[in-house]
Amino acid sequence: MGTAAAIELKGVTKTFGSLKAVDALDLTIPRGALYGFIGPNGAGKTTAIRMIMSILLPDVGRLSVLGHASALEAKDRIGYLPEERGLYRKMKVAPYLTFIARLKGMAERGLRERVYSGIERVGLTGVEAKRCEELSKGMSQKVQILAALIHEPDLLILDEPFSGLDPVSMRLLKDMILAEHRRGATVLFSTHVMPQAEELCDHVVMMHRGRKVLDDPVSAILRPQDARALTFDPLEPRADVSSRVRALPDVASCTAVGSGYEVLLREGADPSRAIHNVAAALPVARIEIKRPTLEDVFIGIVASDSTAESPSEQRRTAGAAA
Amino acid sequence: MSKVFRIAAREFVATVFTKGFIIGLLIVPVLGGVGAIVGPRLVGDRALSVEGEIAIVDPTGAVLPRVRDAMAARSSPAAVSELVERARAGGATEAIADMLGAATELTLIERAPGADIEQEKRWLTEGDAAPRRLAFAVVHENAVESASGELGSYDLYVPPRQDARAEVIVHSLLREAILDARAAVRGLNRAELSRVLTVPRVRSISVGGGGERDTVFGLNMVVPMVFMGLLMMGVMFAGQGMLTTTVEEKSNRVVEVLLSAVSPMQLMGGKLLGHMAVAFVAMGLYLGLGLAVLAAFSLFGLLDLTLILYLVIFFLIAFFTLGSLMMAAGSAVNDMREAQALQAPLIMLTALPFVFWMPILREPNGTLAYVVSFVPPINTFGMLLRLGSSSPPPAWEVWLSIAIGVAGVFGAVWVAAKVFRIGLLMFGKAPDLRTLLRWLRAA
Repeated sequence: MGTAAAIELKGVTKTFGSLKAVDALDLTIPRGALYGFIGPNGAGKTTAIRMIMSILLPDVGRLSVLGHASALEAKDRIGYLPEERGLYRKMKVAPYLTFIARLKGMAERGLRERVYSGIERVGLTGVEAKRCEELSKGMSQKVQILAALIHEPDLLILDEPFSGLDPVSMRLLKDMILAEHRRGATVLFSTHVMPQAEELCDHVVMMHRGRKVLDDPVSAILRPQDARALTFDPLEPRADVSSRVRALPDVASCTAVGSGYEVLLREGADPSRAIHNVAAALPVARIEIKRPTLEDVFIGIVASDSTAESPSEQRRTAGAAA
Repeated sequence: MSKVFRIAAREFVATVFTKGFIIGLLIVPVLGGVGAIVGPRLVGDRALSVEGEIAIVDPTGAVLPRVRDAMAARSSPAAVSELVERARAGGATEAIADMLGAATELTLIERAPGADIEQEKRWLTEGDAAPRRLAFAVVHENAVESASGELGSYDLYVPPRQDARAEVIVHSLLREAILDARAAVRGLNRAELSRVLTVPRVRSISVGGGGERDTVFGLNMVVPMVFMGLLMMGVMFAGQGMLTTTVEEKSNRVVEVLLSAVSPMQLMGGKLLGHMAVAFVAMGLYLGLGLAVLAAFSLFGLLDLTLILYLVIFFLIAFFTLGSLMMAAGSAVNDMREAQALQAPLIMLTALPFVFWMPILREPNGTLAYVVSFVPPINTFGMLLRLGSSSPPPAWEVWLSIAIGVAGVFGAVWVAAKVFRIGLLMFGKAPDLRTLLRWLRAA
């Protein structure tokens, strides 16, 4: 295996009894990349992450983490936030972070400053001497995230990092992830929150029933699949938006979707002319050719699961659904 | 290795610097001290009085008057003291001697020699009579003298739930009265006879390199028991701590965070070392207090200090064997309730030496002692008992037991490591034996 990749998995399989949790997973994550690991519950994301972390050992296959055959050899360079959050309830916040940082091999010099500045960075100034059991759920989660970052890892693996966070904390975490990425760390995080994966990731890997069903750059996934579909938001709400747009040439249909509208053009219609016509017919805040969302892709793949298609077929189905 | 020590240090600090640990550690010596100071004051100064009626049928006519005289004399402190001293000299236990010295308010009911025995028995249990009816005695006709030369005794009937002290006093009165009567019939001076027959019990003197000193009765039994107790306490203290913290780490879900920083073996090693240090603190405190007590009573020289070395060796063996298995049990379950089911066999195994304690000390080189000395993990307890006994085993047996114990440690740690690695991340139904065996094969 090459050493250029931060994470490289070849044919990795893990079975629990009769359940194949991860099935022949091939995955390469380049150094410095920001990868999203998405998929429904039970897809095998957490098992795959635990194998990457060498918490579980694969039954079959090889893996490499930061150039080592096992994450055990590089644990000090990895930051990890498990899906199942945990703290020592009776320990105080600063000693807990110090303990984790020491386990991660941090030197004593500057450790205290790092811990206290980290606490300040996540907006928890004043809780240093509080026991972890006294923290709210959101505060606990911030402490756990900080524990994963405290030693400035080369590889950051976050399993469902956004679950349980309020919008402000979510924004803070996004900023922290992006800051780690800018620093040069490779980031892999799993999530169910598709807009966040869309917003943050360079690349998305989707798992379903233990298999990888999608492994593409976000830009490629979100590239418009069908130029005949437009979406727009009117500048002001009006009752006659649909009827006015439907009356335009080349428009086959116009339906309200959320706060906006979707327009389907007739076969052979010129999308740029249609955009011009819609904008001329009524003032719009936004108008563009419709792009698929990760959520569309995700739901499309899950929905087509019962047909037991191959990953490539599933992806085509998902694209069509989008 | 430094990560192992960091885990160990956290375990140590998190366990020792808690109110629960400090209170639990100090409660035993504090209660012991309070008991030693207050106890004798509560029970030693004053025995409760014995009150009630005693009925006696005496066909010989020689015993009853003497019982009457003795009961009258019991009101005299001098007579009571003499009775107590006579009992002590005769080998009676301290408890019986104290009973004889108890204040009594007894009433003698004299029954005619031809009295109906069955009716008198019923007299004992009729209603809630006051004063209480304590005993009914029938002196044998040949109790004082016999034509055949074979002397009789007496029959004693008591009601249910009898006060043990009353029975001891009645026995004592009748015995003394019969002996007096026998002496008088034969023209012997009872007081002179008692002096002649009395040889006071003395304490033996230990003779050794450190000089001569009074032997402390029972020390040969107490020392092995104390050392075995220390060993057991250390193992249970640490084993229970490891099980509890492992269950907590698992149920708090902090274990996965730890496993992202250390390997399962480092985690297990750190926990073992941390709790070993905890056990040493507890054992060190109790051992230090024990040695201080011995020194205070100038008995320090009676203790073979190599026993402390063996205590440490056997503790390490027992701790790593049972402690690692306790930790494996903790890793396999989800909460303390489930843990109790898995730890029960281990606790029973640890408590097993208590069953063998007395037989081993009676025969330190008997077959049972020999077998127990070589079966891990109880060999540690058995061999320590034998080492502290009056007949310690030969050195080769001790070292063979140690070698077997060390082999047991490797086996136990091997099994525990496999269960620990898999169990830590397993949530849901607690594993049964078949599942545990599958984990052993899979790990």
